[in-house]
Amino acid sequence: MSEILEILSYPFVIRALVAGSLISVCASVLGVILVLKHYSLIGHGLSEIGFASLSAASALNLSALAVSTPSVIAASFVIMFVSQKYKTAGDIAIAVASSAALAFGIIISSITGSVSNTGAYLFGSVLAVSQSDLIFSVALSFAVMLIFIIFYNRIFLITYNEDYARSLGINTAFYQFVISVLTALVVVSGMRITGTLLISGVIILPAVTAKNFASRFKTLIIISGVISFVAFTAGLIVSFIFNIPAGAGVILSNTAILIAAKILKFIKN
Amino acid sequence: MNKSKLKLENAVIKYGENIVINGVSLNVSGGEIIFITGANGSGKSTLTRGMAGLLPLSAGKLTRTERMSYVPQIEEADRDFPACVREIVMTGTQRKRKLFYSRYDTERAENSMRELQIENLAGCELKTLSGGQLRRVFLARALCGEPELLLLDEPCAGLDAESHKILFGVLEKKLSEGCAVIMVTHDDSDLEGIKNSRVIKISEGKIL
Repeated sequence: MSEILEILSYPFVIRALVAGSLISVCASVLGVILVLKHYSLIGHGLSEIGFASLSAASALNLSALAVSTPSVIAASFVIMFVSQKYKTAGDIAIAVASSAALAFGIIISSITGSVSNTGAYLFGSVLAVSQSDLIFSVALSFAVMLIFIIFYNRIFLITYNEDYARSLGINTAFYQFVISVLTALVVVSGMRITGTLLISGVIILPAVTAKNFASRFKTLIIISGVISFVAFTAGLIVSFIFNIPAGAGVILSNTAILIAAKILKFIKN
Repeated sequence: MNKSKLKLENAVIKYGENIVINGVSLNVSGGEIIFITGANGSGKSTLTRGMAGLLPLSAGKLTRTERMSYVPQIEEADRDFPACVREIVMTGTQRKRKLFYSRYDTERAENSMRELQIENLAGCELKTLSGGQLRRVFLARALCGEPELLLLDEPCAGLDAESHKILFGVLEKKLSEGCAVIMVTHDDSDLEGIKNSRVIKISEGKIL
């Protein structure tokens, strides 16, 4: 206990904890939509595109966020559009885009001699969380919360059946664009803490776990958010105690909760 | 009462280069029911999706009332969603520029469920429903929108006799209120005894 209190006395830990938990809760809420719409791989594809753009930004000596944010938003929109329009081609598009982006990022890092940065991009670092990241994460959480409150009925309908929503004259492309942008922002902000390889787990795992308990969409969103918060906090603290990368700690705690949920469900049934 | 609710003129629908609907024209008035029949792959569902605005016309013109409700075929994914019957029926009241449900919407949902005799299922999860029950849920959702035109894609597939009777009872009531109905069907028995009905047969994307 005293060890945990000592860890929490460092300002950079508090920054990482607040920013990271807010981003992971946002990620898990969006993850509910992605899981239910069978777009689970999108986070993985976007994070590797994020890795390529971070490598390019480093090589060109540009701001990481300035390059990765528009690149990932554009990629998110294209991937969601292809996934929706061509169904199975969506998986293929993600596989092609993510492996090509990873290869591109590695080559750029290798040519420019910035291989040392590659590890930080791939596995993340809590030291990377600045004051501006903290402000951004608070703003992003506020935006996600507001959008879910105002557009809850629309999000419910479109997640359940997009075709039916279109038949009612609802502009589903607009909502898809909003979800794409929010997912991209979560990936860009979260991947610097958990790493590009692991951010997709932060998006998907809480929703997959929550599906074991929730029988309503609203409950699924709430349980997913709570699981994500608990998993992130536990993962971050464990990572400090055992001196392991924070992203890996967060994903392992999410995985442990998922396994526990499956066991509980098995016993219950 | 007899005002046109849908007018389709020389409609062409393509999947890529493949012409699936080729020059179909159709005019449906209030109080009239059109049965669309034809073999598998003849283009019935494509035509219905085109009329619902889910597929663009490559050529031709579609004019229809905005108060249209579409009842799609059931897919496996329709049951794998964390929601209860009431929540799904309520979505039928959503329209453009309307974000929140009113008390009137809730009343309409309750009335629709009562008409389809699924009010006792209101709190049930979707995954617990049979195929016939889920079809009645989708029809209740469509009725919630107070439609002037109902587009039904094989609503009778897999229905038991009781559900079939309830469905046609509701349709006859809607027809008497001036609603137009377009219904894709495989079963010739659906066509019997319905007043003010027409049957059109589709083959290779054309009306025979």
